[in-house]
Amino acid sequence: MTRALFALKLRLFRNGPHNERAFSLVTGLLLAALVVAGASPAVRGVVGESWIALALTVWGGMWLFGPLAQPRHDPSVISREWLRGYPIRPWRLARALSWTELLGVGPLITLACLLSLVVLAAPGGPVAVAIAVVAVVAQLYLLVWAGKTVAALASWLLQTRAGMTLAAVQTAVMLAVSFAGWVPFAAWLLPRLGEGEADLATPSLGRLPEPVVDVLAALPTGWGYGAVVAARDGAGPGAVVLPMAALALGALLQLGWIALTARALRRPPRRATPLRPAGPGRGLSLPFVSPQVSAVVARELATWFRDPARGVELRSAWLTPPLMAAIIALTDWSWALPLVGPAAAVFGAMVAINTYALDGTALWQLLTTPGALKADVRGRMAAWALLFGAPSVVLAAVLWAVTGSPLGGAAVCGAVAATAVGCAAAPLLAVVMPAVGTDARDRVYPGQQAGDPTGGQMTIFPVVALAAVAGSLWWAALLPAAAVLYAAPALTLRLLRRRGTGLLDAMASRDAASVR
Amino acid sequence: MPDLSTPAVEVTDLTQRFGSVVAVDDLSLTIPPGMFYGIVGPNGAGKTTTLTAVCGLREPTSGSIRIAGHDLRTDRETALAQLGVMMDGLSLPERLTATEVLRYSAGLRGLDDGWRARARDLLEILGLDAVPRTLIVEYSTGMRKKINLALAMLHRPRVLVLDEPFEAIDPVSAHSIEQVLKQYVEAGGTVVMSSHIMDFVERNCRRVALVAGGRVLVEGPVDEVTAGSTLNERFVELVGADPVRPLEWLA
Repeated sequence: MTRALFALKLRLFRNGPHNERAFSLVTGLLLAALVVAGASPAVRGVVGESWIALALTVWGGMWLFGPLAQPRHDPSVISREWLRGYPIRPWRLARALSWTELLGVGPLITLACLLSLVVLAAPGGPVAVAIAVVAVVAQLYLLVWAGKTVAALASWLLQTRAGMTLAAVQTAVMLAVSFAGWVPFAAWLLPRLGEGEADLATPSLGRLPEPVVDVLAALPTGWGYGAVVAARDGAGPGAVVLPMAALALGALLQLGWIALTARALRRPPRRATPLRPAGPGRGLSLPFVSPQVSAVVARELATWFRDPARGVELRSAWLTPPLMAAIIALTDWSWALPLVGPAAAVFGAMVAINTYALDGTALWQLLTTPGALKADVRGRMAAWALLFGAPSVVLAAVLWAVTGSPLGGAAVCGAVAATAVGCAAAPLLAVVMPAVGTDARDRVYPGQQAGDPTGGQMTIFPVVALAAVAGSLWWAALLPAAAVLYAAPALTLRLLRRRGTGLLDAMASRDAASVR
Repeated sequence: MPDLSTPAVEVTDLTQRFGSVVAVDDLSLTIPPGMFYGIVGPNGAGKTTTLTAVCGLREPTSGSIRIAGHDLRTDRETALAQLGVMMDGLSLPERLTATEVLRYSAGLRGLDDGWRARARDLLEILGLDAVPRTLIVEYSTGMRKKINLALAMLHRPRVLVLDEPFEAIDPVSAHSIEQVLKQYVEAGGTVVMSSHIMDFVERNCRRVALVAGGRVLVEGPVDEVTAGSTLNERFVELVGADPVRPLEWLA
């Protein structure tokens, strides 16, 4: 059975979409090559080899807490749904499936990265190299099963509302670290930048502090490193103790994964209890907008809070700015805190990039109701402004007031410009670049594939970020932002009128290519 | 009373191609107002494609469609205002309750306050008032058909276009939908529906069109089309059914 599943997975790889996998492979191999190349000067003492330990820890962390785990989507290539109907014991099926999990881009690029351990071991002679090879295999086995177990646990947790929050927190941490993780280093290099002095502190790439290295080597992600260093420094066969421990822990995690997968195979995913309204409620009446637009705003607000896919995005967009602020607040760059406001608008635009595809074939109602398309575009914009735009401007203003930063005014202007552009561009790109996934009526539990909007997010990010930067640098840049706010909705409406039925077809057939 | 001189729906020479496939081939239908009208045909006959075009959800390759005299291409908004639409297998705003989705639809159409009483009646008659906090995404197939019907009728359209309204629903739900549609037609409304439930079409529709291969094979009053046999027998006779050879491995 294992052989049949391996063949199936290979065929799925060959016939499935390659873009994302190819991107991950190329990027991963480049990063792995950097780590391996860095091991060589570390051996020669040019840089401290503790940096390799740090790189391996970060890499291992990616398995546990990063894109390699992908908690919001089922990371398995072979669908559990297909297999559930076969008259095979779930435990046996899960055990066979577990070996196919070793086949993929993640294990391959991790193996490439771990080859840095062999480079580190080379000066110690053939015995050290042999132990390094064992350490590489053991470390890879441990990381893969730690990552897979975390992903399976996350997938199980995603069937609850608490799991949705967990997924949002994970995404927010990733985004905050990605966008503000450089600030501590920058603050270290340019400690007086806030006072207008660009004096560069001389960085030292010597070594990490010894206690830090000890902690890194003690973590399961550093066991391979610890074993290699011990082998090279003459610990002899005793150095294989850590790889053996890694293999044992990996085997336990594999058993845990098999148990979770067997459980998933025994029963279909359960529906998360949806967030329901407490009572019948009243209609929303907003000032300055028509009843049609108010109706759309009410629908949008309810959907943002109740739809599991949108709910995760909303929570992550709201959580990321405070986390970024926390990272910046720990440094001497508190003057940069108000800039989190414009960043919040950028994240808001990124998470609102796929709303038409998420609402799916419900578009038919807008296409058959006179005047509904115009109200829909305006309503989506108004709801976005309420949920993301206004909070980002308020955040910039509050952080300005708290820090008294000289950049506060610029940050508020940047947030206003980013809000204007994000508000108008998100619905436009949602029409132009829909990432079609499971239709709204069939998305009954979180974690179901809701379309991958990475392309749209990568498009809107520079657009809104540019608006934020331009608005921050020069208040007159608010005028082009206002022009975008004026013109983009008309373009969105025109596209919906011309291509709305094509978009509906694309969502009914789950083929976004038909809309282009 | 409806204007009897203007057809409720007039489809003229409708052709719909998908690449090299001709789904609807030069199809014409004239549906008088105040009529319960059925479109029947085998799977892939072009029924849903025709109804989708009638609702304005698909741009025809050629041909024209008029709703209550208004051309769907040149006078789209007015034509759409005459229609209530219930399509099979499409989503609604899934994270709203029945009351919320009706309120949303009323707001979207800019209806006056009379919608509230109509919504109450529809929810009560269709049995949806018993689950006021249930979201649409949690609805069963029958409940979906009912809320779709309520949405289609809320603004009192002149023409109801229903795609497979009785597909995969239980007899009780079908009965309540049937009763509502009968009242609607008695009050002068026009129902155009596709269905595989021959019994229902025979019992309720005054006229029927049998469509196959994107063309109308026969059209007229139900009695004339059935010509003394049942609609089901006539359907099989006109469309043709291949003989099924015995499967020896089933023995």
